[in-house]
Amino acid sequence: MRRIALWLAAGLYPGWWRLRYGSELDALIEDADVSFLDLFGVVRSALEMRMTTNNTPRIAELTSRDIPHGYELETAVEYPREDGTKILVRQFYREVDLGDSYVMLSHSSRGSEPAQTILVSGKKGEVAGDFRSDQTEMFVLNADGTVRRTEQTVLTSLKYAAYSERLREKYREGMKSGLTPDEIHRRIVTL
Amino acid sequence: MSDPVLLVLASLADGDKHGYAMMEDIEHFAGVRLGPGTLYGAITRLEQRGWIRPVKSAEDRRQPYTLSADGRRYLEEQLSGLNQIVRTGLKRLKHA
Repeated sequence: MRRIALWLAAGLYPGWWRLRYGSELDALIEDADVSFLDLFGVVRSALEMRMTTNNTPRIAELTSRDIPHGYELETAVEYPREDGTKILVRQFYREVDLGDSYVMLSHSSRGSEPAQTILVSGKKGEVAGDFRSDQTEMFVLNADGTVRRTEQTVLTSLKYAAYSERLREKYREGMKSGLTPDEIHRRIVTL
Repeated sequence: MSDPVLLVLASLADGDKHGYAMMEDIEHFAGVRLGPGTLYGAITRLEQRGWIRPVKSAEDRRQPYTLSADGRRYLEEQLSGLNQIVRTGLKRLKHA
Protein backbone atom coordinates (compact mmCIF):
# COMPACT_ATOMS: atom_id res chain seq x y z
CA MET A 1 0.00 0.00 0.00
CA ARG A 2 2.79 2.43 1.02
CA ARG A 3 4.77 1.36 -2.04
CA ILE A 4 1.80 2.01 -4.34
CA ALA A 5 1.31 5.44 -2.77
CA LEU A 6 4.97 6.24 -3.42
CA TRP A 7 4.78 5.09 -7.05
CA LEU A 8 1.73 7.31 -7.51
CA ALA A 9 3.53 10.25 -5.88
CA ALA A 10 6.50 9.64 -8.19
CA GLY A 11 4.14 10.57 -11.04
CA LEU A 12 4.29 14.16 -9.74
CA TYR A 13 7.85 14.61 -10.99
CA PRO A 14 8.14 16.67 -14.19
CA GLY A 15 8.41 14.87 -17.54
CA TRP A 16 12.14 15.50 -18.06
CA TRP A 17 12.84 14.09 -14.61
CA ARG A 18 10.64 10.99 -15.09
CA LEU A 19 12.37 10.30 -18.39
CA ARG A 20 15.81 10.47 -16.85
CA TYR A 21 15.34 9.05 -13.32
CA GLY A 22 11.81 7.62 -13.20
CA SER A 23 12.66 3.94 -13.66
CA GLU A 24 15.57 4.23 -11.20
CA LEU A 25 13.32 5.72 -8.52
CA ASP A 26 10.69 3.02 -9.16
CA ALA A 27 13.38 0.34 -8.68
CA LEU A 28 14.52 1.99 -5.43
CA ILE A 29 10.96 2.09 -4.08
CA GLU A 30 10.70 -1.60 -5.01
CA ASP A 31 13.94 -2.48 -3.14
CA ALA A 32 13.71 -0.25 -0.05
CA ASP A 33 11.62 -0.67 3.05
CA VAL A 34 9.53 2.46 2.57
CA SER A 35 7.54 4.40 5.15
CA PHE A 36 4.75 6.98 4.96
CA LEU A 37 7.39 9.63 5.75
CA ASP A 38 9.03 8.69 2.46
CA LEU A 39 5.80 9.62 0.70
CA PHE A 40 6.20 13.23 1.89
CA GLY A 41 9.87 13.11 0.84
CA VAL A 42 8.92 12.07 -2.69
CA VAL A 43 6.17 14.71 -2.97
CA ARG A 44 8.53 17.44 -1.71
CA SER A 45 11.30 16.35 -4.05
CA ALA A 46 8.87 16.20 -7.02
CA LEU A 47 7.71 19.75 -6.30
CA GLU A 48 11.32 20.94 -6.04
CA MET A 49 12.08 19.38 -9.42
CA ARG A 50 9.03 21.09 -10.91
CA MET A 51 10.44 24.42 -9.75
CA THR A 52 13.89 23.64 -11.14
CA THR A 53 14.63 24.62 -14.69
CA ASN A 54 16.82 22.17 -16.49
CA ASN A 55 17.86 24.06 -19.57
CA THR A 56 21.62 23.69 -19.53
CA PRO A 57 23.10 21.94 -22.55
CA ARG A 58 25.31 19.00 -21.67
CA ILE A 59 28.40 17.98 -23.63
CA ALA A 60 28.05 14.23 -23.98
CA GLU A 61 31.16 13.70 -26.12
CA LEU A 62 34.05 15.89 -27.18
CA THR A 63 37.18 14.81 -28.98
CA SER A 64 39.82 17.14 -30.37
CA ARG A 65 42.72 16.10 -32.58
CA ASP A 66 45.61 18.11 -33.97
CA ILE A 67 46.19 17.42 -37.66
CA PRO A 68 48.78 18.90 -40.07
CA HIS A 69 48.01 22.65 -40.38
CA GLY A 70 44.84 22.44 -38.32
CA TYR A 71 42.60 20.47 -36.00
CA GLU A 72 39.50 18.30 -35.88
CA LEU A 73 36.70 18.37 -33.36
CA GLU A 74 33.94 15.85 -32.74
CA THR A 75 31.14 16.84 -30.39
CA ALA A 76 27.82 15.52 -29.18
CA VAL A 77 25.76 18.02 -27.17
CA GLU A 78 22.42 17.34 -25.50
CA TYR A 79 20.00 20.27 -25.56
CA PRO A 80 16.92 20.14 -23.32
CA ARG A 81 13.60 20.95 -25.00
CA GLU A 82 10.60 22.64 -23.42
CA ASP A 83 8.67 19.37 -23.15
CA GLY A 84 11.47 17.93 -21.00
CA THR A 85 12.94 15.69 -23.70
CA LYS A 86 16.44 16.22 -25.02
CA ILE A 87 17.80 16.54 -28.51
CA LEU A 88 21.29 15.34 -29.39
CA VAL A 89 23.30 17.47 -31.80
CA ARG A 90 26.37 15.77 -33.27
CA GLN A 91 29.05 17.61 -35.17
CA PHE A 92 32.31 16.83 -36.88
CA TYR A 93 34.42 19.91 -37.60
CA ARG A 94 37.76 20.17 -39.39
CA GLU A 95 39.76 23.31 -40.00
CA VAL A 96 42.93 23.44 -42.12
CA ASP A 97 44.99 26.61 -42.49
CA LEU A 98 47.07 26.63 -45.67
CA GLY A 99 48.78 29.98 -45.18
CA ASP A 100 47.00 32.36 -47.52
CA SER A 101 43.83 30.26 -47.61
CA TYR A 102 41.87 27.85 -45.42
CA VAL A 103 39.27 25.10 -45.58
CA MET A 104 36.58 24.33 -42.99
CA LEU A 105 34.35 21.28 -43.03
CA SER A 106 31.37 20.79 -40.76
CA HIS A 107 29.15 17.72 -40.75
CA SER A 108 26.26 17.83 -38.28
CA SER A 109 23.00 16.17 -37.37
CA ARG A 110 20.22 17.32 -35.04
CA GLY A 111 18.19 14.54 -33.44
CA SER A 112 16.61 12.37 -36.10
CA GLU A 113 16.76 15.11 -38.76
CA PRO A 114 18.91 14.40 -41.84
CA ALA A 115 22.56 15.35 -41.47
CA GLN A 116 23.97 18.35 -43.28
CA THR A 117 27.52 19.04 -44.45
CA ILE A 118 29.00 22.50 -44.93
CA LEU A 119 32.27 23.09 -46.72
CA VAL A 120 33.87 26.52 -46.69
CA SER A 121 37.01 27.51 -48.52
CA GLY A 122 38.38 30.98 -47.92
CA LYS A 123 41.11 33.19 -49.31
CA LYS A 124 42.57 35.51 -46.70
CA GLY A 125 42.27 39.20 -47.55
CA GLU A 126 43.30 42.53 -46.13
CA VAL A 127 43.58 43.14 -42.39
CA ALA A 128 41.96 46.14 -40.75
CA GLY A 129 42.26 46.30 -36.96
CA ASP A 130 41.17 43.01 -35.39
CA PHE A 131 39.42 41.84 -38.56
CA ARG A 132 40.41 40.37 -41.90
CA SER A 133 38.31 40.56 -45.02
CA ASP A 134 38.13 37.09 -46.63
CA GLN A 135 36.69 35.90 -49.93
CA THR A 136 34.77 32.70 -49.17
CA GLU A 137 32.92 30.05 -51.06
CA MET A 138 30.43 27.99 -49.05
CA PHE A 139 28.80 24.72 -50.11
CA VAL A 140 25.85 23.31 -48.18
CA LEU A 141 25.57 19.61 -49.01
CA ASN A 142 22.10 18.35 -48.12
CA ALA A 143 21.07 14.76 -47.36
CA ASP A 144 18.86 14.65 -50.48
CA GLY A 145 21.92 15.22 -52.69
CA THR A 146 21.27 18.88 -53.44
CA VAL A 147 24.04 21.46 -53.06
CA ARG A 148 23.72 25.17 -52.34
CA ARG A 149 26.69 27.32 -53.22
CA THR A 150 27.29 30.85 -51.87
CA GLU A 151 30.17 33.22 -52.50
CA GLN A 152 30.69 36.12 -50.15
CA THR A 153 33.18 38.45 -48.50
CA VAL A 154 33.23 37.90 -44.76
CA LEU A 155 34.94 39.66 -41.87
CA THR A 156 36.98 37.18 -39.83
CA SER A 157 37.97 38.04 -36.26
CA LEU A 158 41.71 37.65 -35.77
CA LYS A 159 41.14 37.21 -32.04
CA TYR A 160 39.10 34.07 -32.74
CA ALA A 161 42.17 31.95 -33.65
CA ALA A 162 43.90 32.82 -30.38
CA TYR A 163 40.69 32.20 -28.41
CA SER A 164 40.15 28.88 -30.18
CA GLU A 165 43.73 27.80 -29.40
CA ARG A 166 43.26 28.73 -25.71
CA LEU A 167 40.11 26.59 -25.54
CA ARG A 168 41.87 23.61 -27.11
CA GLU A 169 44.74 24.03 -24.66
CA LYS A 170 42.24 23.96 -21.75
CA TYR A 171 40.67 20.85 -23.27
CA ARG A 172 44.05 19.08 -23.50
CA GLU A 173 44.86 20.00 -19.87
CA GLY A 174 41.45 18.76 -18.73
CA MET A 175 41.78 15.44 -20.55
CA LYS A 176 45.22 14.92 -18.98
CA SER A 177 43.69 15.48 -15.53
CA GLY A 178 41.07 12.81 -16.22
CA LEU A 179 38.09 15.20 -16.48
CA THR A 180 35.09 14.41 -18.67
CA PRO A 181 34.30 16.75 -21.61
CA ASP A 182 31.33 18.16 -19.68
CA GLU A 183 33.51 18.88 -16.64
CA ILE A 184 36.04 20.62 -18.90
CA HIS A 185 33.25 22.67 -20.46
CA ARG A 186 31.88 23.69 -17.06
CA ARG A 187 35.37 24.72 -15.99
CA ILE A 188 35.92 26.76 -19.16
CA VAL A 189 32.61 28.62 -18.90
CA THR A 190 33.26 29.48 -15.26
CA LEU A 191 36.75 30.90 -15.97
CA MET B 1 26.27 15.92 9.20
CA SER B 2 22.99 15.36 7.36
CA ASP B 3 23.47 17.22 4.06
CA PRO B 4 22.24 14.64 1.48
CA VAL B 5 24.65 15.97 -1.16
CA LEU B 6 27.70 15.37 1.05
CA LEU B 7 26.38 12.01 2.24
CA VAL B 8 25.94 10.78 -1.35
CA LEU B 9 29.41 12.02 -2.33
CA ALA B 10 30.94 10.37 0.75
CA SER B 11 29.17 7.12 -0.10
CA LEU B 12 30.46 7.15 -3.68
CA ALA B 13 34.01 7.93 -2.50
CA ASP B 14 34.12 4.27 -1.50
CA GLY B 15 33.14 3.01 -4.98
CA ASP B 16 30.30 3.05 -7.54
CA LYS B 17 26.82 2.38 -6.14
CA HIS B 18 23.18 2.43 -7.24
CA GLY B 19 20.42 4.17 -5.27
CA TYR B 20 19.55 1.38 -2.85
CA ALA B 21 23.23 0.57 -2.14
CA MET B 22 23.85 4.28 -1.36
CA MET B 23 20.84 4.35 0.94
CA GLU B 24 22.10 1.31 2.87
CA ASP B 25 25.69 2.57 2.97
CA ILE B 26 24.71 6.04 4.26
CA GLU B 27 22.55 4.53 6.97
CA HIS B 28 25.47 2.30 7.97
CA PHE B 29 28.23 4.94 8.12
CA ALA B 30 26.28 8.07 9.09
CA GLY B 31 23.26 6.68 10.91
CA VAL B 32 21.04 8.75 8.61
CA ARG B 33 18.31 7.21 6.50
CA LEU B 34 17.78 9.10 3.25
CA GLY B 35 14.34 8.45 1.79
CA PRO B 36 13.94 7.77 -1.96
CA GLY B 37 12.79 11.36 -2.67
CA THR B 38 15.66 12.98 -0.75
CA LEU B 39 18.21 10.60 -2.24
CA TYR B 40 17.10 11.15 -5.84
CA GLY B 41 16.83 14.91 -5.25
CA ALA B 42 20.52 14.85 -4.25
CA ILE B 43 21.47 12.56 -7.17
CA THR B 44 19.74 14.94 -9.63
CA ARG B 45 21.56 18.01 -8.28
CA LEU B 46 24.90 16.22 -8.19
CA GLU B 47 24.60 14.99 -11.76
CA GLN B 48 23.56 18.46 -12.97
CA ARG B 49 26.64 19.95 -11.31
CA GLY B 50 28.82 17.28 -12.90
CA TRP B 51 29.97 15.92 -9.53
CA ILE B 52 28.69 12.39 -10.18
CA ARG B 53 27.90 10.55 -13.38
CA PRO B 54 26.11 7.30 -14.28
CA VAL B 55 28.26 4.33 -15.20
CA LYS B 56 27.40 1.51 -17.55
CA SER B 57 25.44 -1.25 -15.93
CA ALA B 58 23.88 -4.52 -17.04
CA GLU B 59 20.64 -3.47 -15.38
CA ASP B 60 19.10 -0.15 -16.51
CA ARG B 61 16.74 0.32 -13.56
CA ARG B 62 19.40 0.00 -10.89
CA GLN B 63 21.76 2.59 -12.28
CA PRO B 64 25.14 2.88 -10.51
CA TYR B 65 26.86 6.25 -10.17
CA THR B 66 30.48 7.21 -9.85
CA LEU B 67 32.23 10.24 -8.38
CA SER B 68 33.74 12.63 -10.95
CA ALA B 69 37.08 14.40 -10.46
CA ASP B 70 35.20 17.65 -9.68
CA GLY B 71 32.97 15.82 -7.21
CA ARG B 72 35.97 14.32 -5.44
CA ARG B 73 37.58 17.76 -5.21
CA TYR B 74 34.38 19.31 -3.80
CA LEU B 75 34.03 16.52 -1.23
CA GLU B 76 37.65 16.92 -0.14
CA GLU B 77 37.19 20.68 0.33
CA GLN B 78 33.98 20.26 2.32
CA LEU B 79 35.37 17.49 4.52
CA SER B 80 38.57 19.36 5.30
CA GLY B 81 36.41 22.35 6.31
CA LEU B 82 34.32 20.13 8.57
CA ASN B 83 37.45 18.52 9.96
CA GLN B 84 38.76 21.93 10.98
CA ILE B 85 35.49 22.72 12.79
CA VAL B 86 35.52 19.33 14.58
CA ARG B 87 39.14 19.70 15.69
CA THR B 88 38.59 23.25 16.93
CA GLY B 89 35.40 22.27 18.72
CA LEU B 90 37.01 19.29 20.45
CA LYS B 91 40.02 21.34 21.49
CA ARG B 92 37.80 24.05 22.99
CA LEU B 93 35.71 21.49 24.85
CA LYS B 94 38.87 20.07 26.43
CA HIS B 95 39.92 23.51 27.66
CA ALA B 96 36.45 24.42 28.94
